[in-house]
Amino acid sequence: MVFSILVLGAPFNSQSAYSAYRFAKAALESENTIYRVFFYQDGIHNSSAIATPPQDEFDLYEAWQTLQTQYSLDFVTCIAAAARRGLLNETEAQRHNKNNSNMAKEFDLSGLGQLIEATALSDQVITFGQ
Amino acid sequence: MNQPKIQKILIVNQSAPYSSGNAKESLDLALAAGTFEQDVSILFTGDACYQLLAMQNPKEIDSKKLSQMLKVLPIYGVENLFVDEQSLLDRNIKHIDHDLKITKISASKARELYQNATTVFRF
Repeated sequence: MVFSILVLGAPFNSQSAYSAYRFAKAALESENTIYRVFFYQDGIHNSSAIATPPQDEFDLYEAWQTLQTQYSLDFVTCIAAAARRGLLNETEAQRHNKNNSNMAKEFDLSGLGQLIEATALSDQVITFGQ
Repeated sequence: MNQPKIQKILIVNQSAPYSSGNAKESLDLALAAGTFEQDVSILFTGDACYQLLAMQNPKEIDSKKLSQMLKVLPIYGVENLFVDEQSLLDRNIKHIDHDLKITKISASKARELYQNATTVFRF
């Protein structure tokens, strides 16, 4: 089965981001394919490079990054949702005249068209809500 | 990016207009789907009915008028707009914006929308 995953919740604030991660991991470990993971609405916060959970708690940010590297996954963060919430990669930071970028390199910034494309090219799109 | 094959996408909108970003961000998704020439339907249900009121004055809270933004949908090829009739009755909403071409539907018709959709997004 080819899945795409839509993540709408931020880590910590919502359990859905963690559930999405567990689903993705389980799908990959049982020989399914993930076409794309799309981060939208508050889900964009999963792609933060600087969030630092307490050391005795599960680090979901790092877990996503590791999963992406391990399986060469396509992680796409919605560029508009990210910009309005203060999440920028280097290119966007320069474009908006901001001093800093704060997005993990495992994630690409792109538009909602990538989510629409994913619905067409996957068997199932699973949403993990807010 | 390849032009994706046509999907029947249902966007279910159940959020009030200005209490969260849901209304705006579901509209953005609808516009993107329309741009990619997908078969898009939008169903307004629950508190999302308030998005359809003509008498909105969001300038007072420095926001853009939702019903006005919804009017651009047909330009992007998104013409299948539905509102759950019972949700309107429950809220005693009698006048939705006349310029919005939106169809009132029953719960059973709404179920059909779900059944016919290849993908459902809920906001």
